[in-house]
Amino acid sequence: MTKFIIRRVIQALPVIWLITVVSFLLMQQAPGGPQAVFNQNPHITPEQVDAWLQRWCLVRNADILQTIQEYLGWLGVYNCTGGGFLSSQGLPNFLPAFLGGGTNGVIHGDFGFSISSGQPVLSLIAQRLPATAILMGTAWILWVVIATLAGVLAAVKRYSLIDQVITILSYVFYSLPTFWLGLILIFIFGVELRLFPAQGIINVRTSPAPFGTDAYWHALFANPWPQLVDIGQHLVLPVTTLIAVSVAGDSRFVRSAMLESLSQDYVRTARAKGLPGRTVIFRHAFRNALLPIVTNIALEIAFLFGGAIATETVFSYPGMGLLFYDGVNERDYFLLMGILLIASLFIVFMNLVADVLYVMVDPRIKYD
Amino acid sequence: MALPDMQSPSALQLGGPGDGAGTEDVEVALESLSQWQLAWRRFKLHRLAAVGLCIFGFMVLMAIFGPILDPYDPIFIPNAHVPGGDPPSLAHLFGTDDVGRDVFAMVVNGARISVTIGVFSMLIAGIVGVLVGAVAGYVGGLVDNVLMRIVDVFFAIPFLFVILVASRFFGQGQLIPLILIFGLLSWPLISRLVRAMFLSLREADFVEAARAVGVSDFRITFRHILPSALGPVIVAMTLIMASNIVLEAFVSFLGFGLTEDQTSWGNALSNAQTVLSQGNWWWAFFPGMAIALTVLAINFIGDGLRDALDPRSRL
Repeated sequence: MTKFIIRRVIQALPVIWLITVVSFLLMQQAPGGPQAVFNQNPHITPEQVDAWLQRWCLVRNADILQTIQEYLGWLGVYNCTGGGFLSSQGLPNFLPAFLGGGTNGVIHGDFGFSISSGQPVLSLIAQRLPATAILMGTAWILWVVIATLAGVLAAVKRYSLIDQVITILSYVFYSLPTFWLGLILIFIFGVELRLFPAQGIINVRTSPAPFGTDAYWHALFANPWPQLVDIGQHLVLPVTTLIAVSVAGDSRFVRSAMLESLSQDYVRTARAKGLPGRTVIFRHAFRNALLPIVTNIALEIAFLFGGAIATETVFSYPGMGLLFYDGVNERDYFLLMGILLIASLFIVFMNLVADVLYVMVDPRIKYD
Repeated sequence: MALPDMQSPSALQLGGPGDGAGTEDVEVALESLSQWQLAWRRFKLHRLAAVGLCIFGFMVLMAIFGPILDPYDPIFIPNAHVPGGDPPSLAHLFGTDDVGRDVFAMVVNGARISVTIGVFSMLIAGIVGVLVGAVAGYVGGLVDNVLMRIVDVFFAIPFLFVILVASRFFGQGQLIPLILIFGLLSWPLISRLVRAMFLSLREADFVEAARAVGVSDFRITFRHILPSALGPVIVAMTLIMASNIVLEAFVSFLGFGLTEDQTSWGNALSNAQTVLSQGNWWWAFFPGMAIALTVLAINFIGDGLRDALDPRSRL
């Protein structure tokens, strides 16, 4: 098993490297270059821009070699403050700082500074991470539970009224654009019925401090219930929006996996033995249908990321998706590169988890 | 080159006129239908697919003729208008928006751009995906490895993030760059499918036979293997078209897509967020319904195609 995991990690390395190249090139090729945003700011002198550019190995109108240098500087292999591939201590720059390597670049945890806010990219992302984790975690759990229940129910009661209803609903929801569903939900439940709040993650007027600050976390731990209820109310509409489309797609998937499993010989044998229907369905059919379902669950986390950006922008929910949207608006290159890289690494990791789970769940697969 | 055609079952041929020599005439008399004719027959029997085809056909007709027949100009802003827009009425079927533009005209004209983006980005994705997948699957080895790692990267980077960045920086306000962006970012799914089919079909008997009589690699790829792999590819292409129509709407909704004077369904939605709080639901409802209906229709068609093109399903 360890061997399998190690081999899988080694396979992922070129992909991770390519991801850094793509993240960098996407930003590098953008018109104007990273310094373009400074041109509109009268308070920044050209000298300051030059100093800033040099800090990141950036050159105006870079040729191919200089572009590679910029990339290596961003990556952390190249020392931008003189010294080339060697750090200020004369050792290879890519080594960790405590071994005498450099401190710049993403491999040393330095994602640069956000151009629009001046804060380090990593701390900006860290501030937004809890909100996104809450949203995506809740959505993920509900998604898996609802999709599985609906799919199994539809498969067991095949061609019944309930199967038809689930099928029609999943067709309809699968076709709805996520962001439009969010708009309509805001209109119905937020504006007309006033049942749920439609914006943000907490009620700004009643909360003790802005979300994500230390003061807020202290208040949350001191007296959790009012804050948790507040967050819960704010989550209803975004989570519904986020999972409606995916649940629709996945319940179809579970249904077909379950139908496949129900038509197998061992299910007929179990029935012939006189086992109760419930046992046949859950111990025999469902356990074998789980295999494709489990891997699918881990894989579609990538899909949630895409949905999160749509949901968060529509609901002004202060997560990473909204941060990314703001970054695109402000042309905040380092922020965008940072989020792209971190989100992609997370997805690569989840793919790995899916592969390992697949091998672990299915006893028929031999790994060595 | 008649021999390989006889080797591969006539079922796998595209069955156009002038396709195949005299041998096929005998077969036609016996079997009477090619695989594609059978697929079409199965497709017609799929009720949902027929509904989908009707809706989608209607959308295409609307995209072509709608703007000619419709009395209103979608970007015409009248001098006098009701603040907040008129609710739906006989004069304005879907109401008007805050500056007095007719929402019905926006929906009708929006079909043009949304359907164009969907169809052409699908074609680009299909062509690139098939080429990459075919090369990777047929050549194999290092080429396959490199191409598939690139595909892995596409699957790892959150699609929507890249779409947003690319639309904002490279495509903003222009139709053709947007089509290229959507098309060139959505092919990896197809190339994975095609590669998998090629890997399994590469060793199939009819390919071996074709190779044995000296058919060129190019011809084997496109004449012998590809037709067998086409079913899943076509289904995947319908999915891509549906998702790209939604994506264009989202990108335009965020303001990174087309400009105000180019009406698409997403653009019609772009100012809906701020005004929904005033209770003017018709701004957001009708363009969104147009998107949802189109996507639903395409999904129905995709489902029908999946059943029809599956050679295991029989009439």
